[in-house]
Amino acid sequence: MVGSKKLIVYALIITLALFGLIYSFNAYLNQQREDVVLDRMEEILDEYQEIQALSMMTTTFGSDIACLSLENSLSLLDKTLWDTGLKIDRYREATEQFANDPFYVNQKRKFNRNEVIYLSMITEMQKHCDFNQTVILFFFQKKEECPDCDAQSFVLTDVNKEIDNEIAIFSFDADLDLPSIKTLKEYFAIDRFPCVVVDNMPYCGLKNRQQINEILCSKRPHSICSE
Amino acid sequence: MNFAYSVLVHVVWFLSTYFVVLTLLMLFSKRKQLHQEPQDRALDDTIVSIVVPAYNEEETIADCINSLLAIDFERKRYEIIIVNDGSNDNTSKIAKAFEQKMQVRLLDNMPNKGKAACLNQGIRIAQGNIIACMDADTIVPKDILRKLLPYFADEKVGSVTVSVEVRHVKNFLQRIIQLEYALGLSLFLKLLTFVNCVHVTPGPFSMYRASVLRNIGGFDEKNMTEDLEIAYRIHKAHYHIENCMTTAVKTITPDTMISLYRQRRRWYVGALLTAWKHKDMMLSRKSGMFGFFIPFNFALITLGMIVFFFSVYLGVSNFANALSFYSLIGYDFFNHFNWDFDVLTLNSLLFLGLTGIAGMILVVTCGVRAVRRNSHGILVKYLGYFLLFFIYQAFWLAAYSIVATRRKIQW
Repeated sequence: MVGSKKLIVYALIITLALFGLIYSFNAYLNQQREDVVLDRMEEILDEYQEIQALSMMTTTFGSDIACLSLENSLSLLDKTLWDTGLKIDRYREATEQFANDPFYVNQKRKFNRNEVIYLSMITEMQKHCDFNQTVILFFFQKKEECPDCDAQSFVLTDVNKEIDNEIAIFSFDADLDLPSIKTLKEYFAIDRFPCVVVDNMPYCGLKNRQQINEILCSKRPHSICSE
Repeated sequence: MNFAYSVLVHVVWFLSTYFVVLTLLMLFSKRKQLHQEPQDRALDDTIVSIVVPAYNEEETIADCINSLLAIDFERKRYEIIIVNDGSNDNTSKIAKAFEQKMQVRLLDNMPNKGKAACLNQGIRIAQGNIIACMDADTIVPKDILRKLLPYFADEKVGSVTVSVEVRHVKNFLQRIIQLEYALGLSLFLKLLTFVNCVHVTPGPFSMYRASVLRNIGGFDEKNMTEDLEIAYRIHKAHYHIENCMTTAVKTITPDTMISLYRQRRRWYVGALLTAWKHKDMMLSRKSGMFGFFIPFNFALITLGMIVFFFSVYLGVSNFANALSFYSLIGYDFFNHFNWDFDVLTLNSLLFLGLTGIAGMILVVTCGVRAVRRNSHGILVKYLGYFLLFFIYQAFWLAAYSIVATRRKIQW
């Protein structure tokens, strides 16, 4: 019995140690997740600087010189942005066990601000260069207030997978209360979520893949329109 | 909701891992004692009375009595008392044939009184200083008394239980139950003896010190799991319950899901009502380790059940959600599915779940080796047993709802 009492204590110590081990590993993963997000954000900022330089070149030397490389850079940035947005959301889900993780909320704000900058740049560049990318703005809220927002994001991810080079999607989290996003919301008169804006025309309410295809094809020809 | 789920998963993980670690530690440190028997002391003055209540057991009663008559023990030192509980088949007739040959004593009840009442009736006329209570659908090995009686040489021992095996294994379900009995009614009961926490004296066959049985007033006739309830009162009277793993009785078990459900519903409702009846023992120092083991056991069962159904609910709702998402893209599963695996999207709940499953597999593997009956196939061990574990969650839920709504159930 005395030996058994010792075992009871040892078992408790081992269980606590196992618990600690799992949480240390989880903390390590959290750190890795944060590092990946920070690296991605750093990459995005680098690309912005590159695009800004090219943008300045168009005003100084004329659009012919910079438009070609600018189009490539924007297309690359568009993919990085969408992937980073998805990554932040997935990592946030993996990390967010007990409360909203301030790191991800902060990164999401930074990310959304960057998206507004990118949107402004691409809109500006469309005036100078002959870009044929369709710009899609996606406004969403958290699941509790907008049950269809995740579904809309799912549909847009599917579209992006198929015609990544032909579209540029910007997703804006309306819950972040960023003044720039508020302004965009007012500008496009968005009154409900989810809402997709294609070439400055808002389409609010959940749209399935077929409906998104029809909207895109009504704007300009895409590879999916021939199907 | 996610917060509540997360907290629950952590608590259940902690309790179950503690249980797994303690079980493994005990298995390794006590492995020699598992199959050790007490010194075969003479116990010359020991007389054993074996009480067998029987209700509609015409198919099994003869085998049961024959196995008792074949016990390797001086015949004059043990008596067999059959209590026919108002059977409406040939049970009484078969038992009478043995009575006429002076091999058994027969008490014929009319009408049916219930198992516990029959046991008490048998105990009242029993002449032995050790009383064995057994089910009429059980058969015993020849060495049963020689193996179990030496445990009573220790005055603190109030009862001795024995390993239970399945008789007539006909299908997959019974093979799983066989493994469940080998672990639950053999190994775990043995391990619990080391901390004096055996919480049941299984109905198929258990032996009691007659003086202890009489002191505590025999079996509770209102309780549907009298073999469980009496274990609480043996602990209350500060006696130990021992377990013998070196021999085993064989009993008939349910062979269909419906009959298994009926049996477990009775066991689980009985367990809940018994724990409630003896709530004064919970977390009481007077009850020793037993007073802590019972609340631990119920906390693990209850919280585990809640987590199980919570997980099922989340799993089903996530699946339905995913399906509704795919309906928006024309169910194009292949094209949309993200094949890139990112280890960083894994969270701590998953690691807790994986370690929990690994722990259970380890316990089953080591447990089967420890009981030295490694006849269970891989399918039974690693699929069937876990499947049954999940099904039992539903049985526990049914038991809780019966207790909460105060519904009466039949035997």
